[in-house]
Amino acid sequence: MNEIVAFIKVLWGLTILLEAGLLVLLLYRKNHRAFPFFFTYVLMAFLESIVLMVSYRLWGFSSSNAVRIAWGTQGLVILGRALAVAEICRRVLGRYRGIWALAWRVLVGSAVVVLLYSLAIAGLEWQLLALNADRGLELTITVVVVMLFLFARYYELTMEPAARLLAVSFFLYSCFAVLNDTILENWKYRYATVWNVVGMLAYLASLLLWLWAVRNRQLEITLEPALLSQGVYETLAPEINLRLKLLNEHLNQVLCPEAKRP
Amino acid sequence: MSLFFYLFSGLIGLLLILFLWSVRSTRRRVPPSTRTGVPDECGGRNMAYLPQIRQALGKTDYEFLSKRASREMVRRVRRERRGVALGYLAALRGDFQSLLRMARVIAALSPEVAAVHEFERLRLTAKFAWQYEMIRWKLLAGFAPVPQLDGLSDLVSGLSVRMETAMKELGERAAAAAELASSMNRRGLDVA
Repeated sequence: MNEIVAFIKVLWGLTILLEAGLLVLLLYRKNHRAFPFFFTYVLMAFLESIVLMVSYRLWGFSSSNAVRIAWGTQGLVILGRALAVAEICRRVLGRYRGIWALAWRVLVGSAVVVLLYSLAIAGLEWQLLALNADRGLELTITVVVVMLFLFARYYELTMEPAARLLAVSFFLYSCFAVLNDTILENWKYRYATVWNVVGMLAYLASLLLWLWAVRNRQLEITLEPALLSQGVYETLAPEINLRLKLLNEHLNQVLCPEAKRP
Repeated sequence: MSLFFYLFSGLIGLLLILFLWSVRSTRRRVPPSTRTGVPDECGGRNMAYLPQIRQALGKTDYEFLSKRASREMVRRVRRERRGVALGYLAALRGDFQSLLRMARVIAALSPEVAAVHEFERLRLTAKFAWQYEMIRWKLLAGFAPVPQLDGLSDLVSGLSVRMETAMKELGERAAAAAELASSMNRRGLDVA
């Protein structure tokens, strides 16, 4: 047990060191201007680490005060992460004005649905409320990142390597957090120490990915492509859809020869 | 293990599959802004082979052959006809995808898009993919009515011609707009 505690302390120190390094790198490369919400999130996470370290020293790891502070600060940090993810979505899709107008509604809609769903099925057990809320938010982030990549794939949009890597690491970390929270819910206290270590390792891996993602300076604003006039879309979109529909009807004719020809 | 454990694990598994699929597909794609003009493969290229394909799929040829040739020969011809039909079906899918790609490029470069059109296109794409796979499997299994495929080709040829005309009009309009803007600039008018 002592070895685990010592290992957690080492991980803790390493996490604070990497967070500080990431903050310095963001400022040095002036990437805090390109990713202001991401910078704020890292700053919040850094402050959370320090606050938790102090609270554990003052009240002990398992004290109710420390637990309350841990979950409270965690809630703020997750909200910061959600905003950082929203910023990446805006950076990737915002250049395409028409698609962004559609995408943000779809992203917000799916985020609300997933959050409500995950909170509803988890129940309202008071002891697990913080854990369920945490898992719900992490699952929402996961879904939003997947939707972002699906939008980019469907419309064949390019993603800057930095934004792409940030999104990938957010996705992987949130996926991991959902699974970790779910396992903790099942094994409760027996798994608590392992949950802590595994969670810290996953976060360290994300920090390394973020450091790699922002190693170069990023443009503050992304360039918008030359847009077509609105009339082009209004004229051609229904026309193309009609033709796609006719192609579908003819394929259906091949599939079911007895069906009436259009 | 609770039901939630399996539920959340399953959800994460599904999301991971979707994520890997979308990440893999976007890696080698060309940005829409760098592609211009009408896609060459918008149906026209496949139409050059239409008479040969029609002959290959013709019922009379097959009946004539089945009366005169050996069973082995008939089997071989049937296999080859199936190969032709499959190839043709793949080409038609290419035509569908060309239209789809054009629609996506237009949507990506438009200041506003209508959700109705976008979701309708998504639905049509899913429907086409499903029907295409059904026909392909039927053809592979030897159940599909091969000669009916040529009805599609007429449609696609019509589509590609009309689409080229539409895009030509679009180009002319863009050129006229550019000319108008430059002439206004020359006169020192405020175009904003």
